[in-house]
Amino acid sequence: MPLGTLDRSPPPFFKQGTSALTKLVLFSAISLALMFADMRYNIVQPARWVLSLVVYPVQWVALRPQVLWDQIDDAFVGKQDALQTAEDARAQLLAQAVRSTQVEQLTLENQHLRDLLQLRERLNTSAMAAEVLYEAADPFTRKMILDKGATSGVQTSSPVMDERGILGQVTRVHPLVSEITLVTDREHSIPVLNTRTGARGVAFGESGGAPLLELRYMATNADIEVDDILTTSGVDGVYPPGIPVAKVVKIERRADSVFARILCESLARVQGARHVMVLTPVKSSLPSFRELPPAPQPIPKGGRR
Amino acid sequence: MIMPRGHQLLLPASPMFMIFSLACALLLDMLQSMAWLGNAAWAPDWLALVLVFWAIHQPLKVGVGVAFVLGLLTDVHQTSLLGQHALTYTVQGFLATMIHRRILWFDVPSQALQVLPVFMTAQILELTVRITAGGLFPGWTVLIAPVIQAFLWPVISVVLLAPQRRAPDPDKHRPL
Repeated sequence: MPLGTLDRSPPPFFKQGTSALTKLVLFSAISLALMFADMRYNIVQPARWVLSLVVYPVQWVALRPQVLWDQIDDAFVGKQDALQTAEDARAQLLAQAVRSTQVEQLTLENQHLRDLLQLRERLNTSAMAAEVLYEAADPFTRKMILDKGATSGVQTSSPVMDERGILGQVTRVHPLVSEITLVTDREHSIPVLNTRTGARGVAFGESGGAPLLELRYMATNADIEVDDILTTSGVDGVYPPGIPVAKVVKIERRADSVFARILCESLARVQGARHVMVLTPVKSSLPSFRELPPAPQPIPKGGRR
Repeated sequence: MIMPRGHQLLLPASPMFMIFSLACALLLDMLQSMAWLGNAAWAPDWLALVLVFWAIHQPLKVGVGVAFVLGLLTDVHQTSLLGQHALTYTVQGFLATMIHRRILWFDVPSQALQVLPVFMTAQILELTVRITAGGLFPGWTVLIAPVIQAFLWPVISVVLLAPQRRAPDPDKHRPL
């Protein structure tokens, strides 16, 4: 019986259950095993599925104040703000109109040229709109949670972009929500192409605390400048080519290293993105090896006679 | 009954209220991370605080097992390594059970000072586990969270013990 309470039931003197130390050892062992399994293998995914369904109602309730606040906020937007937003949108539309009218002509031209050169057609990826529910609370990673999950057809490793560029990649899919790892996460890497020079590289999430990317393994004398735009190169079979990823903000060329330290800023809103597009991974629309035409049979040597 | 001099004799704790308070703490944690602070490293962990509180005040009802289950739920919500919070909550539950006989003899501010090492141990354990697993270092502000939790101890002691401080036989002159 706890100290100083007026408990009516007699305290169990002998039947105290399993000792706390035993429980500590048991549950710590289970936790460690779970963590190990989670890091190395994919076997705890079903457990996550079940637990995410348990947690979802609580999360839904916890999100209500935020949603309500957003609605109130939207309702009280001033007329001036609304007009300004509309004006901005119109200006942006005009700026895009010039390019978008050229797209059809360019697409046609591209197709003709590709036919001429007998190249494979450019891949068209399908996309699905989703909304960011919240940023994951784990301070050791950079992740976001989307409101679409396996029931909406989200697949793992799908690229995710907002209106400015690549935001990240879907790394876990739950029944109702899915997690995206941002391009600035330490464990994330993305193959990129410098649009000015055409040089390919790999950008990694920066580990130094700031939400930046690091373009690694570029030689000290590589042709790269501040404000160069990096787009996806499409060599990985995940990201479709040509989507903006980052802008170079800082280049450190050090005498003691073969590689330059190149820091890039993500173009997508890694902090505070709200509406995003989930693209289908390119790999799923590439032909599999079985579809390749059979190799031509070598002509037997005796056939010449 | 052996109890500190001058303390009020409390009513038995209602299990429903304990479940309710734990659920509220989980909700508050989620609200805090989803709406206010994002993934700020210094954000106090309300669930750990309430868990340690009940493990000290009601060690037969809330202990290591409850801590483990709530830790798993937190792991799924925070998208952290599955088992990370389960481990830290388990350790906190154990440490709280270890000190529960001693700590209630002190006044509340002294209690806050004594639960600080519990929270700090858990935080450092969490940090060690995640850095070992390859997470990024979130900055030294992670060590502020246990201090905030210790400062919240007096607040939570008042709030969570309030239902037990009601009169044992309420009548119309003493409704509470």
